[in-house]
Amino acid sequence: MNKLIKKQGSNICFGVIAVVLAVMPLLYSAGLMNSSTVLFLGKCTAFAIAAMGIDLIWGYTGILSLGHGLYFALGGYAMAMYLKLQSTGGKITDFMHTGGLTELPLAWKPFLNLPLSLIMVIVVPAAVSGVIGYFIFKSRVKGVYFSIISQALTWAAYSIFIALSPYTNGNVGITEIKSIFGSIKGESNKSRMFLLFYVALAVMIGVYALCKFLVGRKFGKLLIAIRDGENRTYFSGYKVSSYKTFVYVLSAVIAAVAGAVFVNFNGSITPSQMTISYSITMVIWVAIGGRGTIIGAVIGAFLINLCEYNLSSGAMVEIWQYIIGAVFCITILFFKGGIVGFVKDQLPEMIASRKNKKAKTEKASAEKVKA
Amino acid sequence: MAQFISTLFNGLSLSSIILLTSIGLAVTFGLMRVINMAHGEFVMIGAYMTYVTQQIFAAVFPESVRDIYYIVSIPVAFGTAFLLGSLLERFVIQRLYGREIDSLLATWGISLILQQAARSIFGTQGVNVTAPSFLQGGVTVGGCTFSYNRIFIMFMVLLCLFIVWIIMYKSNFGKQMRAVMQNRPMAQCMGINSRKVDNITFALGSGLAGIAGCSVALLGSIDSTVGQSYIVNSFMAVVLGGVGKLAGTVLGSTIIGSASIFTENYTSSTIAKAIVLLIVIVFLQKRPQGLFVIKSRSLDE
Amino acid sequence: MTSNENVLEIKNISVCFDGFYALTDVRTNVKRHTIHFFIGPNGAGKTTLLDIICAKTKPTAGNIMYYPEGREPMRLTGMKEYKIVREGIGRKFQVPSVFVNLTVLDNMILSLKGHKGIMDSIFGKPSEEELKSIDEVLEKVGLLDKKDVRAGSLAHGQKQWLEIGMQLVQKPEIIMLDEPAAGMGKPETFRTGEILKKIKDECTVIVIEHDMDFVKQAADTVTVLHEGKILMEGDINDVLADKTVQSVYLGRGGEK
Repeated sequence: MNKLIKKQGSNICFGVIAVVLAVMPLLYSAGLMNSSTVLFLGKCTAFAIAAMGIDLIWGYTGILSLGHGLYFALGGYAMAMYLKLQSTGGKITDFMHTGGLTELPLAWKPFLNLPLSLIMVIVVPAAVSGVIGYFIFKSRVKGVYFSIISQALTWAAYSIFIALSPYTNGNVGITEIKSIFGSIKGESNKSRMFLLFYVALAVMIGVYALCKFLVGRKFGKLLIAIRDGENRTYFSGYKVSSYKTFVYVLSAVIAAVAGAVFVNFNGSITPSQMTISYSITMVIWVAIGGRGTIIGAVIGAFLINLCEYNLSSGAMVEIWQYIIGAVFCITILFFKGGIVGFVKDQLPEMIASRKNKKAKTEKASAEKVKA
Repeated sequence: MAQFISTLFNGLSLSSIILLTSIGLAVTFGLMRVINMAHGEFVMIGAYMTYVTQQIFAAVFPESVRDIYYIVSIPVAFGTAFLLGSLLERFVIQRLYGREIDSLLATWGISLILQQAARSIFGTQGVNVTAPSFLQGGVTVGGCTFSYNRIFIMFMVLLCLFIVWIIMYKSNFGKQMRAVMQNRPMAQCMGINSRKVDNITFALGSGLAGIAGCSVALLGSIDSTVGQSYIVNSFMAVVLGGVGKLAGTVLGSTIIGSASIFTENYTSSTIAKAIVLLIVIVFLQKRPQGLFVIKSRSLDE
Repeated sequence: MTSNENVLEIKNISVCFDGFYALTDVRTNVKRHTIHFFIGPNGAGKTTLLDIICAKTKPTAGNIMYYPEGREPMRLTGMKEYKIVREGIGRKFQVPSVFVNLTVLDNMILSLKGHKGIMDSIFGKPSEEELKSIDEVLEKVGLLDKKDVRAGSLAHGQKQWLEIGMQLVQKPEIIMLDEPAAGMGKPETFRTGEILKKIKDECTVIVIEHDMDFVKQAADTVTVLHEGKILMEGDINDVLADKTVQSVYLGRGGEK
């Protein structure tokens, strides 16, 4: 039994999370929960998906990207563009009018069609991350140098999206959109919301299974090898730069899928999702949940967002920033493994050492009695 | 021609601010292998200190001497940033030596806290400082206007650079610092208190960022994110210049500053950001470790 | 195809770091199925020479030719390091560098010959035969009972063994060992020497070492480097008898 928990702990944990999520719509039906909470949990599944991608690249491979917000947003925008055109009936949007466009720009044309849009959700971020990753990793830029470049990339992309206002609606982003199954607001559209929610849940389970599969193979061991000794991996005959590019693209695509799911629940996407600070926020989830475990990413994403959801209203807004800053900093300083690492490694150690101590004092007192 | 010269002038003035912020980053990275994401917040602290000094002078002193507030604000900004930097090193940074990526993340947490603190104290609205009367206006030579405040900033940076150069390459402390940078265990064996060297170096870097904050205050409104807008450029300058040598940082900052102003002038600020990024990426294809590198023998650090 | 008895020809290699010549015009050949030692005082350029062979460092001038058995010869200079490894030149570094967060077995699996592509690493699995060869090598280096131990928790000497094992399991043509006996006791060092003698039937061994007993035990050819130049080359007895070698190297306590 103990062995089973040790070996399958994270899968069991994930199963529990999935089941709890699955009953949420039922609770809502029974009137025990309001619709905004269910919508919020839907967004959380999106966050958890993105976090798993981050865990692959940062937790396992040790590459810290400060730019995954960009890919999250690219997926989000691709989805939102399709949804927007659905709501306008394929005609050009108001902001394009305002921006001086008279017909639908070419870049928007693919998004008239659902399958094509879904392909774009994956292809666009994959292409961007592929090109960037290829050149950066080929030249063996690594560590914080890569982080800084990825940060600058996000920064540049952010300002480009704002500048291309006739195409992207600048700062405001793409708003007033329904989900892929139509409107999910209100009691009458409950069944659509449930459908969307379960689709999101299924995507999350799929991504989890994919990540778990990858890290269980030799591929996963290689990612750890690259993290711990990049040059050694080269000298074992592996073209590390290809592996890094591959995992970078993979995690970018996962982030983009997450973005697409997110848009459906959120009903809008703005450039603020592609900022540096949003990108780091996603890393925070993984760090606090526990890096290099996949399950930690899921736990972190849900936990932090639920806390933020409940705390960051009204007077707590200010305090929330202090809390998250401090918790993040302390986690990095003292609990490198995050929550999962703490439960799995640090806690048993503490218990063991306490037991030892107890045994010692007992022994000592016993000896005293003898004496 | 006139336009070229004034662009060059603006480019150099941006470069000089970037330089002030990137010296601290480059030296702490070279010395302790720590990247400080909260470095931009020291720029913000410096800028707010300038504002605070101005408010105090406006409240306490007669009109005639108010102008000197700016001169006073420079040591105030430096001192505050130096002190906070020293504290940050003592309580956070020193636990992160050699953990480059973790240091980046942990200091991001600090940066969140500092930004929120600024919002709590000064509000979310930006505040402005009035340039002292002797820095208002400018001098016109052959159709180009050189504003006094930018000229002042450049001279101030040159002065700082000179002082840093003296400290790094002429003083006893500088010798210790370079020794620790090149070989920490050996320096410790020679009786150098590397803890103290680290702390003072980090604090000095923070202090310089504080001074950069004084110059930033002259150029626009101050809010909790003012540091962030400069810091991305400074990071790029460090990547370009490499770590551990002052000359690299100077060169990196000049390239980044001028490149962004020039491309901005002939295109737009958006494209400028993209082009500067492109320059850095292309450059890294040739020299992934930056312009100046300290070589090491170990396989994986 | 070549019937060349040399497996490696080092041709006029020079390397210059910031104006300092670490190696000057080094010329030597490594014969197939021999144990070739490079010895010399610190700073003689031994490690740099290995760095150049496996493309960790680029030479300023000169090149290196490699004659794999039964295949076309190739020029190593200018090749990427992972390709050189795939062509059959393995290297153990001076500072033990194993993958500390992986088990001993995983370390070995990652080092297996072939299967270096991404798809292979996702869908492939080591064959029975390969697992058997891993067990054989682990047996040889005495780590069989540590198979599922995290490599980071091994003792220093065991890490050395593991790294040597990782090279052996690649079935290389040439295996380069930088100070394999460092941190080992006398009996262990002797055992290393015996293992090297055994494996030279299958490959060529290049070793950097300071322990003269070890050199005497195992060396077929010895090259003495001094200040980036070759001082002399020959079999161990010639080298020991040479006056210059004695004054620059051995006289300083190389021979106990």
